[in-house]
Amino acid sequence: MRYLVLFLMLPGSALAQAQAGWGNVGQQEEKGFSWTDPLWPDFWMAWTPATLAVFIGIFSAIAVIGLLEGFRFRDGIERKGCLGLTTTLGDRLFISLLGSVFIFLAWLGFVGQPVWVPLFIAIGWGAFVFWKV
Amino acid sequence: MKTENQRAWFFVLPVLFLVAFNALVPMMTVVNYSVQETFGNNQFFWQGLDWFEQILRSDRFQAALGRQFLFTGIILAIEVPLGIIIALSMPRKGFWVPVCLVLMALPMLIPWNVVGAMWNIFALPKIGMLGYFMNDVLGVNYDMTQDPLAAWITIIVMDVWHWTSLVVLLCYAGLVSIPDAYYQAAKIDGASAWSVFRYIQLPKMKTVLTIAILLRFMDSFNIYTEPFVLTGGGPGNSTTLLSIDLVKIALGQFDLGPAAAMSLIYFAITLLVSWVFYVVMTKDDQ
Repeated sequence: MRYLVLFLMLPGSALAQAQAGWGNVGQQEEKGFSWTDPLWPDFWMAWTPATLAVFIGIFSAIAVIGLLEGFRFRDGIERKGCLGLTTTLGDRLFISLLGSVFIFLAWLGFVGQPVWVPLFIAIGWGAFVFWKV
Repeated sequence: MKTENQRAWFFVLPVLFLVAFNALVPMMTVVNYSVQETFGNNQFFWQGLDWFEQILRSDRFQAALGRQFLFTGIILAIEVPLGIIIALSMPRKGFWVPVCLVLMALPMLIPWNVVGAMWNIFALPKIGMLGYFMNDVLGVNYDMTQDPLAAWITIIVMDVWHWTSLVVLLCYAGLVSIPDAYYQAAKIDGASAWSVFRYIQLPKMKTVLTIAILLRFMDSFNIYTEPFVLTGGGPGNSTTLLSIDLVKIALGQFDLGPAAAMSLIYFAITLLVSWVFYVVMTKDDQ
């Protein structure tokens, strides 16, 4: 059966190759952008676009919170939330990030990949922290 | 809005740069390593979250984490009360104050690997003084190279010897800052020694005690050198704490990806526990 399939496929693929021309045979395939490929292969820090995006996200969150605390809500930003903690915006960012880390780790330990469900749990946790804590 | 002098920020900038280069850049590199596989030669292959899953589910990591919490728990349970008792019984004035302070500071001045080597020789059966005394004078079977319990007792006694002084010195600093008026008032009211401790000394020591407990937690949770030099993680794996296991994976087996994932998990746990300690202990001040 397997040989039959191979036999039927052979002329088809040869035909396709003939139509495309032999010009690109043996050449490196031109790859598009990938989130997971090395970003700067010669540099030592092993960046990928995905990890870079994570850090840009964290640092811009800190920057946004810092600007908000510095200019928008300069006074009266502290409040006592439902956990009995007095928190500022920065505290809430810290709590939501640290909590998200443990949500992901717990999911990976007890359930495994993929991590879409903990992503939504973490977003919910972050919203809860900024809203209530 | 209150106008403040913001010039102080400029003085903090050099520290910020230093921290950026010795903490933030390595940290980012570790995050990058933790999601990739490498065979050296600066070549990396995407691995996703596989290392995290693998580490979290490995018996080896869970056992090392358990040992780490046990070690830190025992250390804190011994060093904090002992440190407070020693600080309370130290003289407040007179000739003996500097003598006591220097004696207390001595163990902390010794480099960590020297402490490990000292205790190793001290505790070895037949050769060391402690080992000889226990085995041949007292007749107790004590061999930290063979018996896990003896190895545990040795690393705990070593850490208590090395670091109780830190708690003592910090508590002592808190104690001497209490004005005499408090004690006089307590005397007039006829307060017992316990109530003096509970309502005057302990609240006054609270800030420094918070710092002491946090420092002792972080140091003992991240301890590497002393147990490594003393027991090398043995016998078997019985004293392989988290950091010793991490170094074995990263430098012994050169599995950079799993080691990076493990160190991030380690970091997250340290951060969480420190934060919880800090929040619980400063909650009443708010």
